[in-house]
Amino acid sequence: MADQEKTSAPVTRRDFLRQGSRVAALTGLGGFAGLLVSKLKSETLVWQIDPAKCLRCGRCATECVLKPSAVKCVHAFALCGYCELCTGYFVPEPNELNTAAENQLCPVSAIKRRWIEDPYYEYTIDETLCIGCGKCVEGCHRFGNGSLFLQVRHNLCLNCNECSIARACPGDAFRRVPVSQPYLLKTSYSHG
Amino acid sequence: MTMRGRSFYALVLSGTAAVWNAAAEQRFPPPEFESGHQLPVTTVPPPRALWQEYADVAVLLLCLGLACYFVYRRRSRRSVLWLSIFSLIYFGFYRKGCICPIGAPQNIALGFFDPAYAVPLVVAVFFIAPLLVALFAGRTFCAGVCPHGALQDLLLIKPVKVPTWLETGLSVLPYIYLGTGVFFAAAGSAFVICRYDPFVPFFRLSGGLTMLTVGAGFIVVSMFVGRPYCRFLCPYGALLRLASLVSKWRVRITPDFCTKCRLCEESCPFGAIREPVPPPTNPMELAPDRRRLGLFLIALPALIAVFALIGNRVAAPAALVHPTVALAERYLDPAKPPPPKVPTPDSLALERADHDPASVLSEAARIKRRFSRAGWWFGGWVGLVIGVRLISLTSRPVRTDYEPDRGACFACGRCFMFCPNERVRLGLLSPSELPGTEPARTDTAPVASGDTGKPKTAT
Amino acid sequence: MSSSASAENQTGNQPSAPCPFYLAWRTSAIASAVFCAVVALAILVRDFASQKEDPLNAPTLAALKQQLITSPNDESLKQKIRELDLRVRRDYFTVLRFKQTGAWLLVIGMAVFLYSARKAARLRETPPIPGPASDPTESHLRAAAHARHVAIAAMALFAIASLGLAIPHRSRVPATEAEIEKLLAGGASTETNAAPLPTPAEAAANWPRFLGPTGNAFATNVSIPDAIDPTNKVGVCWRTPVGLFGYSSPVVWGDRVFLTSGDETNRYVLCYDANSGELLWQRLVRDLPGSPQKQPEIPAGTGFAAPSPATDGQRVYAIFGNGDLAAFKFDGTLAWGKNMGVPDNPYGHAQSLLVWRDRLIVPIDQSEAEKNRSKLFMLEGATGKVVWEKTRPVPSSWATPVLIEAGGLTQIITLGGSWVISYNAADGSELWRAECLSGEITPSPIFAADLVFAISPNDKIIAIRPDGRGDVTKTHLAWSYDENIPDIPSPVSNGAFVFVVSTPGVVTCLDAKTGAKAWDHDFELEVNATPAIAKDKIIMAGKKGRVVILQAGAEFKELARFDLGEEIFASPALVADRIYLRTAVALYCIGAPKPNAQATP
Repeated sequence: MADQEKTSAPVTRRDFLRQGSRVAALTGLGGFAGLLVSKLKSETLVWQIDPAKCLRCGRCATECVLKPSAVKCVHAFALCGYCELCTGYFVPEPNELNTAAENQLCPVSAIKRRWIEDPYYEYTIDETLCIGCGKCVEGCHRFGNGSLFLQVRHNLCLNCNECSIARACPGDAFRRVPVSQPYLLKTSYSHG
Repeated sequence: MTMRGRSFYALVLSGTAAVWNAAAEQRFPPPEFESGHQLPVTTVPPPRALWQEYADVAVLLLCLGLACYFVYRRRSRRSVLWLSIFSLIYFGFYRKGCICPIGAPQNIALGFFDPAYAVPLVVAVFFIAPLLVALFAGRTFCAGVCPHGALQDLLLIKPVKVPTWLETGLSVLPYIYLGTGVFFAAAGSAFVICRYDPFVPFFRLSGGLTMLTVGAGFIVVSMFVGRPYCRFLCPYGALLRLASLVSKWRVRITPDFCTKCRLCEESCPFGAIREPVPPPTNPMELAPDRRRLGLFLIALPALIAVFALIGNRVAAPAALVHPTVALAERYLDPAKPPPPKVPTPDSLALERADHDPASVLSEAARIKRRFSRAGWWFGGWVGLVIGVRLISLTSRPVRTDYEPDRGACFACGRCFMFCPNERVRLGLLSPSELPGTEPARTDTAPVASGDTGKPKTAT
Repeated sequence: MSSSASAENQTGNQPSAPCPFYLAWRTSAIASAVFCAVVALAILVRDFASQKEDPLNAPTLAALKQQLITSPNDESLKQKIRELDLRVRRDYFTVLRFKQTGAWLLVIGMAVFLYSARKAARLRETPPIPGPASDPTESHLRAAAHARHVAIAAMALFAIASLGLAIPHRSRVPATEAEIEKLLAGGASTETNAAPLPTPAEAAANWPRFLGPTGNAFATNVSIPDAIDPTNKVGVCWRTPVGLFGYSSPVVWGDRVFLTSGDETNRYVLCYDANSGELLWQRLVRDLPGSPQKQPEIPAGTGFAAPSPATDGQRVYAIFGNGDLAAFKFDGTLAWGKNMGVPDNPYGHAQSLLVWRDRLIVPIDQSEAEKNRSKLFMLEGATGKVVWEKTRPVPSSWATPVLIEAGGLTQIITLGGSWVISYNAADGSELWRAECLSGEITPSPIFAADLVFAISPNDKIIAIRPDGRGDVTKTHLAWSYDENIPDIPSPVSNGAFVFVVSTPGVVTCLDAKTGAKAWDHDFELEVNATPAIAKDKIIMAGKKGRVVILQAGAEFKELARFDLGEEIFASPALVADRIYLRTAVALYCIGAPKPNAQATP
């Protein structure tokens, strides 16, 4: 212990120890950084939903730290059947096939329905209104082509270190993807 | 067509049609438009560009450099204050507190233990740079760069002194919290430090009610206790504390020499200033401490072993934090509720487990094994931290001057202006007005008398 | 302040006169604090008020929409929905904006408060007065001792908290892969311990398989109401539409009725409440291990859901035309599922499943006899693991085997090609065989009066004594009869008589022991479904929906007749004074309504 030393000795001895520890710490940190290099990735990672695993449970709307959620419904137009009776747009047993509130499935009326030509209608999502509840996704998935699906919108997402939706996702559908490929879009039918 | 559609619906919806998950399926062929309608393109708004992330790193490095400059060269509390306000706005409110080193140890741990996760370079730099700086210049990161620190620092209105013994005793908490964070990240990919961060909901201006309440609690406490999170919880602060214990340079209260005027004694709201302690006059005084040292040194391995065992035991319930483990447990629970009519997220998860129990169970078992292994280390770490704390309490410091504790000092610079010598240096006071006449640098006698000076100070 | 040395000496540190700036800063601090509190309160109140109805959770709106379904032409109701919908949505986004603005106001208010409070505090600040210094050594020692106690207390607290978490925790997830495999393999073994196998009496009181517990389509304890008139809902407990078609027959256990349905795209197992007819669950069977990517081509006359399910009281088992075999627990969760190989069958697979003790019998007769692809499987009911399997020298057939107790053994009697073959249920070894069939074997064998009855379609019915070994063709045939022999419906028996219903609707009553004809009668009714015997009455359902009830006895007597007006292919299930009859589009529960039963919808 330091007390065995005489008056001025403890200071120098402690300084020496400190210097030694510092060099050791520096070496350690350097070694650590060297080890880390093999685990590094120059790209940052962002969260995204794998549409194939999504169970459309509705938690994206409620669990996100943002209100409304950074998860929105997106539409793969190439897969869409342009149905007149869109099961993503209309409630089950719609009263009439028109845009009246009682017929719409979307709770915030974020889907726009537009006539293209007989008998085809185009459905587009207004993302400023969409809250990511996935009701339309469920409708489209169950009875339609599944061309509507949920995605994390990166202009909104805060990219939390631990995504609170990912934690609550019953389908384990969230994963980190490299920032250069930040979306997992549906591009083809899985079969048929 | 309408009717057909309706009856179709009625058929399928007449019960709880639980349709197993499948990707897109072509039930209706995509149309061929006669009008030549062009399909719209699905928009993909990009995330923050990579250069913006690197810009954050640049801002971090610049702020670290500035903080060192302000603390060591300018010795200016005001500059540090403004720097911390900038950091609060930039890293806090602009970057929403989500680019900070506090959670970074978890990313690093996950990177080491989960081969599927690669640590982003930005995170690695955010983790290493402040530590590297701390090895040379102490906790300047805490002083001027950390948005959490800045927020608490600004909130401080009427500091209440926390007794030194309580502070020293509780200083094991950050290490335990760090261990917990690394434990969960390494074993279960869960980031508890980020999850329970009290200030990030404020930076985002949104959050759950519980977290907002906890955050509000911290904010109220911060008005009266200086930097409660930094001192008693911050896991990255624990690392910085270790680094600054051996730092090359340190914050000194006085620019040149200490007159032991005791004016700075109460100036630190974080209880980091230590009074001079003379070396013991009689070596026999140290006997009880030496006995304790011997005892603790012998007990240390036992302590580590016992806590490692406890850690291993607690790993089993801790593994429930992982959703897959929780799902597997629910799946195997004989008393699980029957599936509800309208599927809930939980019932959907159970259905997923039902569909493929083998993969869910083996994944859960793998995570549990990881937790169990990590539990040994975590428990051992807790034992080590407490043991080392007890050992370090047996050593008696020898200090000649009033000086900040190397580990506890946040390098905020509040104490500078309390030193008459500093005021002399700045020309606010003439040397003749100084209390005490002789510099007391080499003085080893205890400065215990209360008559050292009734100082004259300027406001 | 530097002037008042006397003030500094006082412990109270009160400035002699309050500085005007101090008052201003203090007022500002208080004002901003009040402002913050008001804003926070406003946010909380607004938040609370909006929680009653938001777009995701709008009970009133949902109720109105439900109302609209019952009265689809109510224009005022529609108007009401539209107004409420607009209000809810507008409120939701207004509250969001309100909160965001409020949060920023809070931040600004907070900043003003902090600035003013600090200014005010600064003005009241007094320079530090060092009190009497304590002995540094002593204070250090004291602090160290206290700190030690704190650290030890923290240690104890941590240990207690950890153990408090760890000790009550019981994990069910096994630690190793081997244990998981064991769990998955015998996972239900723990369950079977919890719920013991149903007794034979329980099984006999239910309708666990195609043609009932004995395979004779005979229930001793079920009485049929005298008057049945479905048009006036007399004698009908309930009728539930079944949207998904299947040729399979219902099976019943307790208060659950199970059906299978499906086509090329989707195949379901459905579970109905026997008391109310309510659909309890329906499960899609797909993507099982080994399920084919492309479904086989199966003619509409058989379809994908021709085999009937079977149940052991704990699980219901179902097989489909593509070979998908699934076991569901009664709560609708999948116990296990796998594909048994896509049956190579020109008309589609139609052999129903059987349950024996805790095991499941899966007959798959397919392809040509020479290819040796026909098999009989015995699986573990809990896991689907194969206990034994037996290759059968027969081509595709559509007859469901029957389990009999004879010669001190449990035998599985199978028909196929030209052979009647008996296997030992315990190990699958062949006990005896008789060559007496021809054609495409569809009627199933039955067992009554110690004889096995097998039908060679459009040819004859043969009675065989099941106590032989080896080829018994020449030795054990008791009798045969060859008039009005069906090609689809199976014979049924109440023990004394065997009733044979031919496809064009001729019913022949034969003495079971001797084969002597007691009577026959032509109902001129096309029949596909095997009839069933409830105590002393035969219920026979014609393909077009006409149902005839006649006496099951030595003399012909027609008792009642009614018309459901819906096609019937399925054999009725008889349980607890109820007849569960599946038509092409609905499931009927026929019987006298029980006093405690709910009113029918």
